[in-house]
Amino acid sequence: MELIERYLQAVKKYLPWKRQDDILAELRANMESQLEDKEATLGRVLTQGELEDWLRALGSPMMVASRYQPQRSLIGPALFPVYLYVLRIAVLWAIVIYTVVNAVVILFATTGAPSVIDAVLRLPGVLITVAAWVTLTFAAFEFVRERFPEKCPPIDGISGRPWSPSSLPPLEKNEDGFGKPRRYAYAVAEVVFGFIFLVWLLLIPRHPFLLFGPGMVYMTSGPFELSPIWWTFFWWCVAVNVVQLAWRSINLLRGNWQVRSRVEHLVTKACGLIPLGVVLLARDSAYILLRNPAVEGARYGATLDTINKSVHWGLMATCVLVVAQLVWDLGLMLTQTYRKRAAASH
Amino acid sequence: MTVPDTTFENLRLELRRGCLTLAVLAQLRQEHYGYTLRKDLAQRGLEIDESTLYPLLRRLESQGLLVSEWREEEKRNKRFYRLSPDGEQMLRQLLEEWRSLNASIDRIL
Repeated sequence: MELIERYLQAVKKYLPWKRQDDILAELRANMESQLEDKEATLGRVLTQGELEDWLRALGSPMMVASRYQPQRSLIGPALFPVYLYVLRIAVLWAIVIYTVVNAVVILFATTGAPSVIDAVLRLPGVLITVAAWVTLTFAAFEFVRERFPEKCPPIDGISGRPWSPSSLPPLEKNEDGFGKPRRYAYAVAEVVFGFIFLVWLLLIPRHPFLLFGPGMVYMTSGPFELSPIWWTFFWWCVAVNVVQLAWRSINLLRGNWQVRSRVEHLVTKACGLIPLGVVLLARDSAYILLRNPAVEGARYGATLDTINKSVHWGLMATCVLVVAQLVWDLGLMLTQTYRKRAAASH
Repeated sequence: MTVPDTTFENLRLELRRGCLTLAVLAQLRQEHYGYTLRKDLAQRGLEIDESTLYPLLRRLESQGLLVSEWREEEKRNKRFYRLSPDGEQMLRQLLEEWRSLNASIDRIL
C-alpha cells in the first residue's frame, strides 16, 4: 500500500490545484477497489513486483495527471494561421528595416567591413526577438480570447462572425505571369539579397576595394583612370536596383509573389538599358582616360584607343542583345494578349 | 511510400474516441463508480484505460451530461456517476447519429 500512496502523491503534484484532493480521493477509491479485485482473484496479496507492474500499466504519474488537465495550447488552431501570417510579415519587415537602417549607418561610418560583419551577426538575435514578441502577443490574445470571449473582437471566419465568399480577394492575375510559380522563401530571399546587393553597391563609392579588389592598387597607381561617365553609369545602376527592389518588396507585401509579372520583367529589362545607353553616349567613346595625358600620351595613346574601342563594341553588343531580348519578350506578351482576346471574343 | 506503424494506431484511437463517449453515456443510464463502470464496459468487450475513463467522466460531468455524488459503499467512499437529464437527451441524439452513420457505412461497404 505504501507504493500506491507514493504513486498517488506523485500524481497529486501534477493535478489541477483546485480539484486535486477530489480527483485524488476518487483515484484512490478506484485503485483500492481494483487492487481488492486482483487480490481476490489471486487469493493472496500482490507481490512487490506485481504491484509495480500494475502501476506501470496505469501510466506514469505525470501522464495520468495530465489527462485531468484541460486541453491547452499557447496559440489555438483557430488563431494559428493568422499568427503564422503575421509572423511571416513581421520577420520580413524586420529584415528590411534592419538592413536599410544598418546600410545607412554603415554608409556614414568609417569602419567598413567589420560593421557589415557585426550587423550580419546581430541579425538572428533581432529576428528571434521579433518572433518572440509576435508569439507573446498572440499567446496573450489567445489567453484573453479563451477566458473572456465576449470582450474580444470577432475575427472573420474564426470566431463565429458571418463570413462572406464575396469578401475574398480578387483572383491573382496569372495571365501576366512569367516563368514557373515561385516559393515564398525564394521571393523573400530575392528581396533580402536585393537589399544586401544594394548596400554593397552603395558602399562602393566609399570603399572601391569592394568592387575592384586587389586591382585597386593598379587603379590608383597605373597610367589609366576611369572616365567620370562611369559615375553616371553607377548611379543609374543604383536607381534601377532601387526600382526593382521596391517593385519586388511591394509584390511580396501584397502577396503577388507566386508568379513574376511579365510587365515587371519587361520594365526591369528596359530600365537596364538606361545605364548602358548613358555610357554608350559618352563623348568620343572615352571610357578610360590617361592620368597624365601630356606625359604618357605618346607611350599609352594607342593602347588607350584600343581599350576604349573594345569597351565601346562590347557595350554595343550587350545593348543589342538586351534590345533583341526585350523585343522578343514584348512580342511574346503581345501575341499572348492577342490570343487571349481572340479566345475571349469567340 | 510506406505507411508508418503509428498511423493505424492513431486512426484507431481517433475512431474509438467518439465511440467511448457514447458507450460511457449509455452505460451510465445505471449508476456506477469509476472502477465498476470500467469492469462492465470490459465485460461487454470495450476495454478502456483507467487514465482515459476517469478524466472522461470528469469532463462529461463538467459538460453537464453526468451528475455525481460521493457515497459510502463497502466501508469505502466512492464517487458514483449517472446520466443527467441533459445527458439522457444527448445520448438519444448521439445514438440517432450513431445509427445513421452505421447505416451509411454499411451501405458504402
